[in-house]
Amino acid sequence: MSVGLPAYLAVAAALFTIGVFGIFVNRRNIIVVLMSIELILLAVNINLVSFSMFLHDVVGQIFAMFVLTVAAAEAAVGLAILVTFFRNRGDIAVDHANMMKG
Amino acid sequence: MDLQAIAFYTLAAIMLAAAGLVVTARNPVHSVLFLILAFFSGAGLFVLLGAEFLAMLLIVVYVGAVAVLFLFVVMMLDVDFVSLRSGFAQYMPVGLVVSGLLLVEMVMVSGAVASSGAAAKVKAAAVTGRSNIEEIGRVLYTDYVYFFQAAGLVLLVAMIGAIVLTLRHKPGVRRQNIADQTARTRKSGLSIVKVATGEGISE
Amino acid sequence: MGLDSALTIAQPELLLAAAALGLLVVGAYSGRLAMTLVSWGAMLALGAAAVLAANGPLGQAFKGAFVSDGASVFAKVIIYAASGVAIFLGERWLVRAGNAKFEYPVLVLLAALGMGMMVSAGDLISLYIGIELQSLALYVLCAFQRDDARASEAGLKYFVLGALSSGLLLYGASLIYGFAGSTRFADIAGAVHGPASMGIVFGLVFLICGLAFKVSAAPFHMWTPDVYEGAPTPVTALLSAAPKVAAMVLFARVLAQAFPHDVPQWSQVVTAIALISVTVGALGGLVQKNLKRLLAYSSIANIGYALLGLASGSEAGLQAMLMFMVLYVIDVTGFFACLLALSRGGKPMETLPSLAGLVRLRPGLAIAITILSLSVLGLPPLSGFWAKFYVFKAAVSTPGMEPAAVYGLVMSVAAAFYYLRIIKTMWFDAPEGETDAPPLDARLVALGCAAFSFPLVIPALAVLDPLALAAAKAFGLA
Repeated sequence: MSVGLPAYLAVAAALFTIGVFGIFVNRRNIIVVLMSIELILLAVNINLVSFSMFLHDVVGQIFAMFVLTVAAAEAAVGLAILVTFFRNRGDIAVDHANMMKG
Repeated sequence: MDLQAIAFYTLAAIMLAAAGLVVTARNPVHSVLFLILAFFSGAGLFVLLGAEFLAMLLIVVYVGAVAVLFLFVVMMLDVDFVSLRSGFAQYMPVGLVVSGLLLVEMVMVSGAVASSGAAAKVKAAAVTGRSNIEEIGRVLYTDYVYFFQAAGLVLLVAMIGAIVLTLRHKPGVRRQNIADQTARTRKSGLSIVKVATGEGISE
Repeated sequence: MGLDSALTIAQPELLLAAAALGLLVVGAYSGRLAMTLVSWGAMLALGAAAVLAANGPLGQAFKGAFVSDGASVFAKVIIYAASGVAIFLGERWLVRAGNAKFEYPVLVLLAALGMGMMVSAGDLISLYIGIELQSLALYVLCAFQRDDARASEAGLKYFVLGALSSGLLLYGASLIYGFAGSTRFADIAGAVHGPASMGIVFGLVFLICGLAFKVSAAPFHMWTPDVYEGAPTPVTALLSAAPKVAAMVLFARVLAQAFPHDVPQWSQVVTAIALISVTVGALGGLVQKNLKRLLAYSSIANIGYALLGLASGSEAGLQAMLMFMVLYVIDVTGFFACLLALSRGGKPMETLPSLAGLVRLRPGLAIAITILSLSVLGLPPLSGFWAKFYVFKAAVSTPGMEPAAVYGLVMSVAAAFYYLRIIKTMWFDAPEGETDAPPLDARLVALGCAAFSFPLVIPALAVLDPLALAAAKAFGLA
């Protein structure tokens, strides 16, 4: 392969950073936070798949597959909780003042 | 620069740009659409790597299910998204600095892993003549059957969770009951009333 | 190794999975009886799984992905018992709260299954799937009172921070996989020799951050007070007990079995986390008026002590950690059972001032809370004293850990203040008014746990000590 492993890992690292950045700046908007988490998981998957291909070891792809499955389950549960939160509050902004209380 | 490198850099650039737009777009519907674009480009990278099966899986699971779920929720919840962006500009500079530092560190670490880790010592792949999907299929239901079953339970939990949290039985809703409907007879379904002129019918 | 023997080794978990599926069907078709039937079925299944785990064969299954050894058995018995108690406490509570859904016991069962998988994980993939099975079930349980705004906020916060921590953990796992070329703990230990490279240290730090979140150690503790306060009290009782044991054992297993050659490196990080937790727990608790928040800070501090045992990186340290977790879990379950038993005018008494003069109103419960407070505070010869005694003994005998042990001791004195304040409020302040009759189930658990804290702990120690030692040996550290 003409593009080496470091290039793939750098792309994954950049994607991971964007995800962390997204969580940091969008703290109040839970939907975007959830999407940022999906980006982080995509970064992990790119890492796993590129290691798997460069190691010639299929385990990385199996791992990525389960990350994908669990991420889908996580999105479903997260959005379900978000919907109940919305029904109770009429808003999706998590109250951070409350969070700092402790 | 060969074709593969061009494809890699194009896909990577599109993916990172789309990811950046996911976290900065004003409208969350646009965020979801950029998320889809990011996942499509990610799938392209997987194809470049030779992991065709996972590329397809990424599209089916993410674009087909997760992104649609996100879109559904974004559109269902009637939220004032502008107010949610308060604090965005305030956190932005610190966020940029911190993530810039994080990025530099992580790229360095990735380089170290790539150069000194197991990948550096691997010799050429043993030629098996099997396709990517066959390789996965051979181990998924044998060596990794435990993970496979466990992942099934994770999905079950998600299903129970989503139902228990969001399903509401409204009392006034009429449901179909095929057995009852087909068991209806002329006697139970029909009644003949004599209506006196000018009186109307009461229940 | 064939599938048959693999299935024999995983018997307790198979039983739980089958029970969860079966009870779900039973619940769906049994109408009004569903809650009672499914709850008792789930408790029965957990009891049977604990017995099976204690008597089942040891060994590795599924090519090392699932490990059954002394440590996993020890942890599973505690986890399944604690989960059973959570169902017992939750069943009546939910009926009283008018939300008797049979999904509660099923979800607790699945969470317990996830915890069982966590303590038996021998591979990064089983580690991840175990954690996620447990976490997803717990997120839902936190938001179970779906018409309660505080519960759904608790669920949402727990979910968002939990998902983020899973992301960090996974990134670390992917780097470790890339570096070692394998996800099996044993193979990672084989690949990571000599001086630790930057890649592996970075991966390990990410992994430790993710796990520290799961045990709610500072500085990853932000969610704990809010979630403890907002979640339904029986769920909080569960959260503070069984998942902590599972995550601690998993923490120890990853570090001891995948990185046995890097003990000095991870020991430093874990010591730092432990000391920050002890500090945050001791100081944060001082200003709390809400008892559930107070217990959240107490749990942060106590996890710090358990981590101090782990940080010793020796067999004695791991034994101390296991002993600490058992004794702590019993104390904290007792505490939450007391909270469940206390209500005034139909409202739970969750604030410190509401306990005023409790000894005149409910002497039995007041004495139980007093014993439990004194125990968590570390007064000899109550169970909490023995828990801390093991940890400090292990820390002092590890070269270089003495200052950390002394610091921990100082902080435990600072934390003593808020337990003493609870006792003072109950014994010396004037009561505010009559309390409701405490429900039998919560009172039973509260008094049982208090009786264990003192005096039952003395004979129990003689039994637990060799068991914990045998369990600690399974981690394979010298």
